[in-house]
Amino acid sequence: MNLTSLINDLLGFWSEWLRPSAGLPTVMWSLLLAASAASGHLVQRYLGLPKVVGYSIVGAVVGFAGFEGAIWPLRGISLFLLELGAAVVLFEAGGRLPLRWFRHNPMVLVQSLLEATLTYFGVLWVLQLLGLPDPVANPIALMAIVASPAVLSRVIMDTRASGPVTERAMTLATLNTFYALALGYAQAGLIERAPQTLLQKLYPVAVVLGLSFVIGAILALALRTALRFMSPTSESTSILLLALIAAGAALTAHVGGSAPLAALIGGVLLKTLNPKPWAWQRQLGTAASLLTMLMFVLVSIVAAQADWTLPVASVVLAVIVVRLFAKIAGVAIANPGSGASWKQAFWVGCAMSPLSAIALLIASNFTTASPLLGTMITQVALPSILLMEVMGAVLATVAIHAVGESSVPWAPQAFSTTEDTQR
Amino acid sequence: MTASMGFPDSASTPLVPNTTDSDDFRSAALPADPASRVVKLEPFNRSEALSLGVELELQLVNTHDYDLAPYAEDMLRLMAQTPLPGSVVPEMTSSMIEISTDICHSAQDVITQLSPIREALIKNADKLNIAVVGGGTHAFQQWHERRIYDKPRFRELSELYGYLSKQFTIFGQHVHIGCPDADAALLMLHRMSRYIPHFIALSASSPFVQGQDTQFDSARLNSVFAFPLSGRAPFTLSWKEFEAYFERMTRTGVVRSMKDFYWDIRPKPEFGTIEIRVFDTPLTVERAAALAGYVQSLAAWFLQEQPFEPTEDDYLVYTYNRFQACRFGLDAVYVDPASGQHMPLRDHILMTMTQLEWHSEALNATQALGELRTSVEANRNDARWLREKQGKERLLAEVVRQAALRFRGAA
Repeated sequence: MNLTSLINDLLGFWSEWLRPSAGLPTVMWSLLLAASAASGHLVQRYLGLPKVVGYSIVGAVVGFAGFEGAIWPLRGISLFLLELGAAVVLFEAGGRLPLRWFRHNPMVLVQSLLEATLTYFGVLWVLQLLGLPDPVANPIALMAIVASPAVLSRVIMDTRASGPVTERAMTLATLNTFYALALGYAQAGLIERAPQTLLQKLYPVAVVLGLSFVIGAILALALRTALRFMSPTSESTSILLLALIAAGAALTAHVGGSAPLAALIGGVLLKTLNPKPWAWQRQLGTAASLLTMLMFVLVSIVAAQADWTLPVASVVLAVIVVRLFAKIAGVAIANPGSGASWKQAFWVGCAMSPLSAIALLIASNFTTASPLLGTMITQVALPSILLMEVMGAVLATVAIHAVGESSVPWAPQAFSTTEDTQR
Repeated sequence: MTASMGFPDSASTPLVPNTTDSDDFRSAALPADPASRVVKLEPFNRSEALSLGVELELQLVNTHDYDLAPYAEDMLRLMAQTPLPGSVVPEMTSSMIEISTDICHSAQDVITQLSPIREALIKNADKLNIAVVGGGTHAFQQWHERRIYDKPRFRELSELYGYLSKQFTIFGQHVHIGCPDADAALLMLHRMSRYIPHFIALSASSPFVQGQDTQFDSARLNSVFAFPLSGRAPFTLSWKEFEAYFERMTRTGVVRSMKDFYWDIRPKPEFGTIEIRVFDTPLTVERAAALAGYVQSLAAWFLQEQPFEPTEDDYLVYTYNRFQACRFGLDAVYVDPASGQHMPLRDHILMTMTQLEWHSEALNATQALGELRTSVEANRNDARWLREKQGKERLLAEVVRQAALRFRGAA
């Protein structure tokens, strides 16, 4: 009896006597999240790895076992939850995107453009070299641009990191997510149309950007208005923020924009309209953490559903290596004059290795637009995402510790000599 | 970036040392035999009387939530690329830096040197996407999150003092004043001690600690009290006696150099100065220069008029006056050490400013003292400014953001 049939038998057995008010899937998801939370805690406590590794491991195990709670390609509530999780993270990341920094230090923007361009063309080149057709290689190369701000922000939280490498990696990750979302969502709409002229190629990008900008602007204005009479440290403001992002995500997806992109733009606009420090991260706390944990579990469940074969593994490995090299090279080449040292540039490149929800959402769009090509894209994209969700988180942790920007020593908490005293 | 002008005996040494508060800790192992521990005090070098030097410890904060940010190394790397007067050095924790002037002769000189340093700081901070802030404390930083600056000496000190070294993430202004000779330096030191409450109240800018209003205008000095050998210097008016005291102290093994004393005012024999260390770092370099002008005018008054003789009994009310100034700022009560008369500190400050008018004019410090006088008459210091901002904004991070704007002259 294999694991899948065992789970099916158990589910059948339970459904006989268990009559939960919200349905069996709710029970399953709740237990899954409970297991993920415990796993994340144990991984951090006994292995010294970021919690996101624990979440991903649980999701991957359940995904490999054939859990049917999240079927690829994502639709309905699971797709919405993924978009919402990404939107919450990107809204915050957008609020941390310091536009005035680029005015004072344009080399940071050059670093971003260079690493994104090198990543795209590097991955495209290696995939073409390995014989993948352009309509498949192009979406994968686009996905490879993304350095997951979600994973990075979780790692930053776990390591209590702050400093030049942490800030720059987060800024570059947010910027490349912006490029990949705008281009990825637009190109997914064109996958079966093969546009000829430049205008035909740019038009969908403008549409995705325009729609996302409108929703983002409405979100920013609504929050700006709320902040006129509500305290940013109030719990009510945090709830209002989450509810507005959720409404914005649902609306954007409906009108044809990108929900995460709208949230990112909303964050940038709100910070521009309201330069006061953002104090609600601490208030968002558990609600946002639950949402992002759900997102990581969902990503790994889905990614584990890929077909794992040796040829696929070698392509995935090639993509990962070229992507990492391109990111480090891009940041390093534009480093002179950017205010960072060579060592910092190297570790910024490494810290940008995680892939996660955004890449999955882009892959999901391509799969929905063209099921045939989608299958081929999925074959390479999903294993890459799963591997780089885990390995990327570990590499980002190594980077943060290597430059001494963590406030906690890199030792498993259980064996740490310094006690974390709680009241 | 060293200074030599006006200090022929210390030509290769800066007036303002390339050391920091944290260098004042003691860490090395001691010889077992008390007699072999004795260290002779170095001679008091010559300096130009009434010459000035100013050090300012500054905060580096991020521009997102305005908490302290560990950017000292990056800031020092960028600052080293710009030719500037004075020096910029690291401090105990990685979110602090210290800037200092070369030898100055007036408050005007001080601001002339501090202004380009401030401009360079702002430019480099913008490049790193951080902000530079004055003030005696960061309003809401958590001491346990601080990281010791990666330097062997700081690591040793951290091991010795444990959490105290991280709690020492406080920011002060030190003013050096040149003295004609060693005995004159001690005389000036003890005369100046009567004005410690004035300095505290005028510079107070540390009402918030760890996210709370402490009810003190200067809570920073409470952190200094945790260290041994803080407070007042012993009452000796001759350098010979002071040398004997120093040798007795070194015999005990508690002290190995002058750096082990972190008194409110201490002699600095290698520079031929006394160093006043009770000022909180003001929110602007202009106020820092004005405070230096006030000290210089007082010193000129002491040297030229010999207005009073300090006595040991001056110190009977020293701690009380100091506490009053820390707690209530300009609203403190001042007990005159000579007469025992109680009066508002604000009035006593204004009275001294009137006494100093002639000297400040001669030292080109009229404008500096005028600015200080106006603020005292309006009952305003930086602590009050910070409290007013918090009263309006109800968000300490926003107060820090506005303080950063104030440092760059935009608020």
